[in-house]
Amino acid sequence: MPDIHPIYLVAAIPLFPLAMSLVIALLKPTRGRAASFLALLGLGVSLVLSLYVLKLSLQEPGLVQTGGFPWIQLGPLPVDFSVIIDPLSASMLAMVTFIGFLIFFYSGSYMADDPDCARFFGYLSLFAAGMLGLVISNSLLLLFMCWEIVGLASYLLIGFWYQKPAAAAAAKKAFITTRIGDLFLFIGLLWAFKDGGTLLFYYHGNGLLEPGRVAWLAGIPAPVFGLSVAGVISLLIFAGAVGKSGQFPLHVWLPDAMEGPTPVSALIHAATMVAAGVFLVARTYPLFVADPAVLTVVAWVGGFTALFAGLVAVAQNDLKRILAYSTVSQLGMMMLGLGVGGVGAGMFHLLSHAFFKALLFLAAGSIIHGCHGEQDIRKLGGVARSMPLTTVCYLCGTFALCALPFGSGYFSKDEILLAAWHNNPGVFVLGAAAAFCTSFYMTRQLCYVFPGNHRSHAHPHESPWRITAPLVVLSLFALAFGGLARHWGILEYLEPGFHAPEHSSLVMAVGLAVALGGILAGWLVYGRRALPVGEPDAVAVTLPPVYRFLENRAWMDELYMATVGRIWGALAALAVVADLALNAVTDWTVLSIQNLSRTLAIYSDRVLIDQWGFDGLCRAVRGAGFLSTRAQNGQLQGYLRFITLGAVALGLLLGWALLRG
Amino acid sequence: MVTLQHYLILSAVLFSIGLLGVLTRRHAVIVLIGIEIMLNAANLNLIAFWRFGPHLENFEGLLFTLFSIAVAAAEASVGLALVIAVYRHFKTPDVEKMNTLRE
Amino acid sequence: MNAAFLILSLLAVAGALLAIRLHNLVHATLSLMFFFVALAGLFVLLMAEFIAAVQILVYVGAVGILILFAIMLTPHVTGENHGRLCSRGWIWGLAGAGAVFLILIAPVLLMAGLDTPPATAALSPSVREIGLVLMTPYGIALLVMALLLTAALVGAVVAASPPARDKDEPKP
Repeated sequence: MPDIHPIYLVAAIPLFPLAMSLVIALLKPTRGRAASFLALLGLGVSLVLSLYVLKLSLQEPGLVQTGGFPWIQLGPLPVDFSVIIDPLSASMLAMVTFIGFLIFFYSGSYMADDPDCARFFGYLSLFAAGMLGLVISNSLLLLFMCWEIVGLASYLLIGFWYQKPAAAAAAKKAFITTRIGDLFLFIGLLWAFKDGGTLLFYYHGNGLLEPGRVAWLAGIPAPVFGLSVAGVISLLIFAGAVGKSGQFPLHVWLPDAMEGPTPVSALIHAATMVAAGVFLVARTYPLFVADPAVLTVVAWVGGFTALFAGLVAVAQNDLKRILAYSTVSQLGMMMLGLGVGGVGAGMFHLLSHAFFKALLFLAAGSIIHGCHGEQDIRKLGGVARSMPLTTVCYLCGTFALCALPFGSGYFSKDEILLAAWHNNPGVFVLGAAAAFCTSFYMTRQLCYVFPGNHRSHAHPHESPWRITAPLVVLSLFALAFGGLARHWGILEYLEPGFHAPEHSSLVMAVGLAVALGGILAGWLVYGRRALPVGEPDAVAVTLPPVYRFLENRAWMDELYMATVGRIWGALAALAVVADLALNAVTDWTVLSIQNLSRTLAIYSDRVLIDQWGFDGLCRAVRGAGFLSTRAQNGQLQGYLRFITLGAVALGLLLGWALLRG
Repeated sequence: MVTLQHYLILSAVLFSIGLLGVLTRRHAVIVLIGIEIMLNAANLNLIAFWRFGPHLENFEGLLFTLFSIAVAAAEASVGLALVIAVYRHFKTPDVEKMNTLRE
Repeated sequence: MNAAFLILSLLAVAGALLAIRLHNLVHATLSLMFFFVALAGLFVLLMAEFIAAVQILVYVGAVGILILFAIMLTPHVTGENHGRLCSRGWIWGLAGAGAVFLILIAPVLLMAGLDTPPATAALSPSVREIGLVLMTPYGIALLVMALLLTAALVGAVVAASPPARDKDEPKP
């Protein structure tokens, strides 16, 4: 590698996918193959660079390097664009580019038959650029801008098949729901700029996240909830993360986002974009630490989300939707980890989750593809027989997800539970319960999909190698990443100054128990015999109200529609009324002005000027003329009398002059 | 004794009478007569001034009067000729009816 | 002197007044001729005998006769005698004449030095003297006067002659 400063390499990483997306935008829309190739190329270059950066960072874990340029000056405060290399950004870069690369490759085959394939890759490249920019950003503003780009790309990709009304609605829902979070994030950004004086994270000791500034912000009391300013800012940032990462109560968009193509679900809604929220909290962690109350909030929100989503997943019947709720649940676990244990635990789970969740989604895509578009697990079955490779990969992913020993998930989840046990036993319970649910619903899903005979009339077949190859690669990672990384000290790497919490056999036992227990329960309920077609769910039979509650996703969407939806509808109606009133007012004003001006014009022009002025003048002149013509009446003696008058006048004048003179 | 004043007052009276005739009467010939009276009054004025002036040997007063008489005679003849011509046109000597010389 | 003056001035005034107030044209003209004669008498009083003679000759003998001839030889020139004597607005004429009268006598009454007696009566100028002055140096004026009279003669004849037959205007 030539001797270029690594910061320039880092800054260049998002630019390749960005350039590719522009080039694809300029291509003819029919050239799907070319588009996929270009996208892959762009991300490939970024992958190479990211791996290099990772290598640099691993060599020197304490390395924190920033670089940037000033952008605008708001009064005395400069706003800069700046990027950073540190363990957090390096690891995320590598993960995003690697998984992205695999998914781009997978999509080349999966979306090959779609006529809009080129548009797909354009959007995907745009998303990649935004995500990579987000990850390397050293400025809250730059992060927010990339946050928005990523949100936009998500909207475009969820609604990729926009002719489907469900997809369009889901895209809208995703965008609007995350927007609510984004609003809070923006307020937090503004507040941070106002009180912190800068939006840079690390800047020669003056950055937002550096100890001096954090202490300063923690010292200012805020008017809300008895928190300090640092706490309020953290809370606002967390609100943004709640939206983007689908925590309760803003989780409602994630399951609907499954309307998008499966690669999208894998990349964006499993591995990367939804992880952005977790990443954001991890990035701004020094602010969270400054006010411990906030961390508690984070942990409880995360824990509750984990359990809630897990329970709802039990009663879902769409293959991807189960995985979506699983994602929500796992994200909750990550937040829980951040809330109790620190950056290391949460980020570790994020990285390992990325691998196996992407694997699960891609495998699900393979299943759907192979079963000719069937997504309802009640209609699936016998996939093991017809798609063995996919089945094996899926099992690897499930293994990791359920945190069975020595899978990736085991190590990361274990760390989280350990930290929770030590710091916040309440959320520990939530986390453990969520783990139980995870195993339970995954087993249920497995029992429906793989064994036995196919329940619908199609004949499933194995997918082509371009689809199954990434599955295999990811399976390896799903199995091996956790253990190897833990062994090689990922926690110390991700979180400098990491102290391993005291090992607790109780926690290990509980963790193992819930994982295995869930599987056991699932097998008992669903696995003992083949599930025939049309038979209602076992849980539905035994606990109908519970099942119905969970099946309807706790009626969250309906709740939102009834409350927020109604309010919005009322406001819109109000706006319509106001608009009509305003129109009426303006129309009336315009009409009266019109009338006024017309009257004025008529009056001033016709009456004033014409009648009085012009005609009056004419009449006066004619009158004067008439008057003067009366002197010219042809009467001789009249003329003579006038002459006499003149002579008398002259005489008088002369006499007067003579008298005076 | 008769002074200049008397003559001047007399001539003023005569002149005014003549003027009255010109400005008042309807008959064209009477108007001409009035003009003649006025001229004569002016002649009287001239002679009176000559007589009561310092140098009697200058005949300017007399000569002036002479010429005035001559001119008056010429004017009277032409005026009467015109009155006849106008009468021929208007068929009446009434000056009030002779009002076509207007706009 | 006074008596002659008085009588003659009264005659003159009366003659003038009658001349303008009489209805009958011929009477008015005769009254005018009386006026002329009275004025001639006044000229004699003023030692301008030549002028008095000329006045009789010209005014009485020519102008008066001329007016009489014009009246008598023009058919129906007297016009209808009924109807108003004076024209409309005669009051203005009266006012005008009165104003002129006042203007004329105002300086006469106001100025001093007008009641000086006449200069010592030398001999009135003889015809010979007047003739001499007329010829030289007033010869030009005399000739102009002759021209004027000629022009008046021709003009009067032309103006008074009836229009040519073929140029007759139709009666209105």
